Amino acid sequence: MDSFKKKFIEEASELIDKLEVTLLELEKNPDDPTQIQQVFRVMHTLKGNSSMFGFDLIDKFTHNLETVYDLIRNNQLPLTPQVLNVTLASIDHLKAMLDEGNYDDPDFLTTHNGLIAKIDQLINPDKPNEEKKSEVKDEHDPDAVIHTYYIMFEPRQDIFRNGTNPLYLLDELAGLGQSKVFAHFNRVPLLDSINPDYCYVYWEAIIATEQAVNAINDVFLFVESESTLEIQKIADLNLLSDTKFVEEVTQLSNVQKDIGYVAVQKLAGQAAARLNKQKSEVVKRERIGFRDKSTASIRVSSDKLDSLMNLVSELVTTQARLSLFAEENNVPGLGPIVENVQKLSRQLRDIAFSIVLIPIENLFGRFQRLVRDLSLELKKDVEFLTEGADTELDKTIIENLSDPLMHILRNSLDHGIEEAGIRVASGKPTKGKIALIAFYSGASVIIQISDDGAGIDPEVIREKAIQKGIITPERKMSKKEILDLVFLPGFSTAKKVTDVSGRGVGMDVVKKKIAEIRGEVDIDSEVGMGTTITIKLPLTLSIIDGLLVSINKTAYVIPLAAIDKIYAIEKAKIYSAFNNLVTLDGKQISFFSLRKEFNLSPSDEELEQVVVVNYEDNCVGLVVDFVIGEYQAVLKPLGKHYKNHDVFSGATILGDGTVALVMDSNKIIKEFAKIQTIKVK
Amino acid sequence: MEQEITSKINSYLTFKLGDEEFAAHVGKVLNILEMTKITQVPKAPDYLKGVINLRGAVLPVIDARIKFGMPEAEYTTNTCIIVLDIDLDGDSVHVGAIVDSVQAVLEIDNNQIMPLPTLGSRYKSEFIIGMSKVDEKFIIILNMDAVFSIDEITALKVNAEMNADSADVEKVE
Repeated sequence: MDSFKKKFIEEASELIDKLEVTLLELEKNPDDPTQIQQVFRVMHTLKGNSSMFGFDLIDKFTHNLETVYDLIRNNQLPLTPQVLNVTLASIDHLKAMLDEGNYDDPDFLTTHNGLIAKIDQLINPDKPNEEKKSEVKDEHDPDAVIHTYYIMFEPRQDIFRNGTNPLYLLDELAGLGQSKVFAHFNRVPLLDSINPDYCYVYWEAIIATEQAVNAINDVFLFVESESTLEIQKIADLNLLSDTKFVEEVTQLSNVQKDIGYVAVQKLAGQAAARLNKQKSEVVKRERIGFRDKSTASIRVSSDKLDSLMNLVSELVTTQARLSLFAEENNVPGLGPIVENVQKLSRQLRDIAFSIVLIPIENLFGRFQRLVRDLSLELKKDVEFLTEGADTELDKTIIENLSDPLMHILRNSLDHGIEEAGIRVASGKPTKGKIALIAFYSGASVIIQISDDGAGIDPEVIREKAIQKGIITPERKMSKKEILDLVFLPGFSTAKKVTDVSGRGVGMDVVKKKIAEIRGEVDIDSEVGMGTTITIKLPLTLSIIDGLLVSINKTAYVIPLAAIDKIYAIEKAKIYSAFNNLVTLDGKQISFFSLRKEFNLSPSDEELEQVVVVNYEDNCVGLVVDFVIGEYQAVLKPLGKHYKNHDVFSGATILGDGTVALVMDSNKIIKEFAKIQTIKVK
Repeated sequence: MEQEITSKINSYLTFKLGDEEFAAHVGKVLNILEMTKITQVPKAPDYLKGVINLRGAVLPVIDARIKFGMPEAEYTTNTCIIVLDIDLDGDSVHVGAIVDSVQAVLEIDNNQIMPLPTLGSRYKSEFIIGMSKVDEKFIIILNMDAVFSIDEITALKVNAEMNADSADVEKVE
């Protein structure tokens, strides 16, 4: 049962998130009926689920909320900002309600009762129509209470004498519901023997009605003594909705003088069976539809995914070993098989990795809310745009992205966007704009947060850095270098510390957190125009496409994503180069000899190779002995003992069973550059 | 449960570093490997010899001699890697330790384990569980968790000037 509860909570959290997103949409377009419908539907599902799993409190609470939106969608209640505020507060409360441990908390109870009172007030601003609500309710299932009756009405011949018109009775009968009346004229005599005062006609009727059998009896109340009346219930559903039944009965009435209860009942039985089958088919179809939806996305525990990933990783490693074996041992026929295995495992790898990728959408939804609340709190009117919500990233990356992104957004709102007055004075629209954009760029995902606020003045940063003793006044720095200073610990340029940001524990933590998921942060700002923060993230964390290189007979992997070009270079050029610069393709490129940096002796070969990698906006060469080839590296952690050696992001096991270290090209260059500047000093 | 069972076992694996014999509780030992090719990690401290492939996982390897502040020695056919399960800040971490040779698995009762002599000890007390006399030889029983933690070289032997300090501490205890 507990696992069901867990599943419910999982699902409910998702529903609540969805609800939040929809509400925020609704706030922008309050008149959008589809959104109102959507809110209602989600609440309805939430209510249903919670009552099913015994979360009665949530059930009751959402029931009230649902009523509000029921009224709204029926245009009985306007959608005011107040309603939205109460609903959003309720959503927060719902989140708290998912944790049953909260239920005894007095604060929780106060909020709970407060919200219930508020919702009640929304429903009954001046205690209006309860019955309207119940009417709406009744419409829900019109089918369930309908019965079908067979009526045989045979008036006595002298019925006209009392002034009774049987046709009126039949009209009245038809008023009770859907009906099919068969008039039988077979007793009408030939014209010469007809008595105009006599009623020769009798009727059979089939009526489907919600009314009880008494209502039918009532119709014939005054003619009971003057007619033969037979009323029989033939089915508990609306048989007249079954066209085949109607056809059959009509046909029967045409060929026979009267249909008779027995025949009708027989047909009714068939029809009922048919209808029931149809109904269950509808239900089934609905269920199938539901299942279709659920196959579109199924829930899998992340443990299973993790083990799948591990197995795929092992497979890729084993496949590499197989390829090597095939290369070394020329077994006829093995080559094509190995190639096939390689192809398959590559595909399998790609699919397995795409499984653990999830769209960034949920994260974006959360931020919609954050920006809304913050902009209210700070009294800044802000338009929040998101783009690329379907961009997919590794689950762990998304989880670790939440805090840094939240921080950046807060900064943008708090420091970036100016007060309305200042905005107007500088000729900007009063409404500020913050955009959160995600998109693919090669093997990485870029997330950009840009605002059209005040921007960051490099001079202010510079002064501040000098004041804090981070840099010396005479140090010459490019604008980019200055802006990068904000990523240093303890650096905050906010003039006042607000509740929201400015404690100086900001950007350095952001940078650290993003570095933990192998990402990079970049900042660009134009005074008066705004600030853009760019985060570059890897798609997945566990397999990388790499270039296998050899240094001193040891293999290393350089991530392929960072590599620009590979050149051959004479050894003499490297060791005689001044200021570590070589000219390649007419461009001056600074380089690092990995042999030298790893404290190894120079190689004996005359030719070495330079792998040119992108580093920030520059190209930097890494000199290796030689390039072995492309390699899919399954990244394995080096373990805690090497936690201080982050120039290697991990290790991978090669086909021959040896271990190759995977370089983090960015960190390695940063590290070497640091050492070099110290040397120069 | 498992913890309880392993702590009730009184078996110790003994190994040699130079002339001295040490012992590690078998509960800490996962495996003993022959010396294999170690992939060096550039710019790491000396005692971190590199990493090896342990059945598909990457295992960091520590040279116990360097870690204990002893002179490095050539690897011989007797040189082994003991794969240890170390408790590091609550996490279980696997690490390989290179030792000169593995000796035997001995049963040592808890009451046979003697505390270190309080005065004039050549070893730092936090790394040592105790000593035991087996076949007229003294075996030092190590606290593997402490010895193979992340810290830089944990010179097992106390330096001359530190000797006085630690003796003081021990007296207080």
